[in-house]
Amino acid sequence: MNYMKVILISGRTVEQGTSLEISKTSEEYSNNVAMIMMNENDMKEIGVKEGENVEVNTKFGSAVVRCKESKIDHGIAFMPYGPWVNMVIGADTQGTGMPDSKGVEAEILTTDKDVLRIANVITQIKGIK
Amino acid sequence: MIYKNIVCPLCGCLCDDIEVVTENGRVADVKNACAFSKSKFLNHAKDRAKPRIKKNGKLVEVPIEEALDEAAEVLKKADFPLIYGLSSTETDAQRLAVELAELIGASIDNTSSVCHGPTIQAAQDCGAAKCTLGEVKNRADLVIFWGCNPAEAHIKHATRYSITPRGLYTESGKKGREIMHMDVRETKTSKMANIFVKVEPGQDYELLSAFRAVLKGYDGGDVAGVPSETIKQLAEKMKSCKFGVIFFGLGLTMTGGKHMNINAALRLVRDLNDHTKFAIIPMRGHYNVSGANDVMTWCTGYPYAVNFSKGYPVYNPGEFSAVDILARGECDAALIIASDPVAHFPAQASKHLAKIPTIVIDPKISLTSLIAKIVIPSAIAGIECDGTAYRMDGIPLRLRKVIDSEFLPDREILKKIIEKVKA
Ligand code: SF4
Repeated sequence: MNYMKVILISGRTVEQGTSLEISKTSEEYSNNVAMIMMNENDMKEIGVKEGENVEVNTKFGSAVVRCKESKIDHGIAFMPYGPWVNMVIGADTQGTGMPDSKGVEAEILTTDKDVLRIANVITQIKGIK
Repeated sequence: MIYKNIVCPLCGCLCDDIEVVTENGRVADVKNACAFSKSKFLNHAKDRAKPRIKKNGKLVEVPIEEALDEAAEVLKKADFPLIYGLSSTETDAQRLAVELAELIGASIDNTSSVCHGPTIQAAQDCGAAKCTLGEVKNRADLVIFWGCNPAEAHIKHATRYSITPRGLYTESGKKGREIMHMDVRETKTSKMANIFVKVEPGQDYELLSAFRAVLKGYDGGDVAGVPSETIKQLAEKMKSCKFGVIFFGLGLTMTGGKHMNINAALRLVRDLNDHTKFAIIPMRGHYNVSGANDVMTWCTGYPYAVNFSKGYPVYNPGEFSAVDILARGECDAALIIASDPVAHFPAQASKHLAKIPTIVIDPKISLTSLIAKIVIPSAIAGIECDGTAYRMDGIPLRLRKVIDSEFLPDREILKKIIEKVKA
């Protein structure tokens, strides 16, 4: 299993924004949001191809998402806002009210696990101690 | 029916040039709208929430009055209720949410605590030189986008206000404007800019401070991966423009440093006003998050993260902000209105919503409604009911109703809950 350390940032994308206006329980929303963008070389280094799944681990949690190639810098990965990235960001706000949703250290691994469906993400959230 | 000059109730641009065509009580067509707006108008009838209450572990459909009664009961019984959301509804509903918070001694917070809360904290510290989007359109010859991506988040911003429009003193449109984009990654926005400056992640504060240093005659060397020469050239451009403006987004507020990043940006703009006219505007996301701050400020004195448990408003982000209250597991009931924290909060915070009685008021089936105890469906403000919203530059605009709805507006729902709590 290959892995790589990256700085994870999250944000809005057009696809995330339009599909959330349709339905957050739709396949379209999951497809557009349960993903991570990395650059070509970083993907090669981990040994993952466009459309394959990767596991994203941070000290706060873990999520399995689909990997997509993008023109992003080496060592940086991007995930759209949504419940999957929420699994890997922390809730500490250092007294500001705002969690650190951009610039989190993460480890990306190849995986043969599936992306959690939205219903399972909800079950997982309910189960967090 | 064809409705012209409709205000789009989606993002902080509040574009007021939307044309909506309705047929048989449905939106049939939308013109002048961006992809988000189109999706919102055309899909307004899809995936609607129904009044539901959790009984024996299952959400079952109930008459709306029963859901309202149950909601009032939950809020009456709670020792530390939290009211959160507010940014995707109109100002009357926001005002009533504050009234309810005072009545039940709740903490009330809006989504700015997880978007531009740091912007407000910084402005409280050092003030902000602002202007309207109209002034930008008519006057700005230098536009800087810092840590934001309007090409994907505020799609019509460029054509209506900041890059291409021709105005009173900007007759040549895009040709007459210098556009800079500062960000940690190249995006579609960089392609619209004349200059893209790649900032090393987490180094925005340093780069903003380097510009301030150069303006004061110091040379800080290379900063944030940007060569010293480039910093000097860009500072010169900022000094020599006629009317400059910085638009900034969550790339500044959400990264390490948070309010200190904004503090540096606000102070840079202040310094630039020694040389020319410069202003700064936050790119507000939800269409009425700016209104949520204004309404809470004129009702309580504070823009967000307000607690009423002492009977009077106390303000303290970090203590009374929703993520913190939830992550610490403090509240024993929650009313979520016009927002979807399960979709946007760290799971470590939203998990608590599944453990307590959570009431959701939302037009659509939100992810939070899937873990809620009580779901109350509402009309979509700006499509199914009227109201007022505040644009990202603080200008209030009137939302219109273009479709009759079977659902109650948020303000009517809150009025009923308040009556029931008082009864
Ligand atoms: S830019 Fe924003 S306000 Fe304008 S049409 Fe698009 S979503 Fe609506």
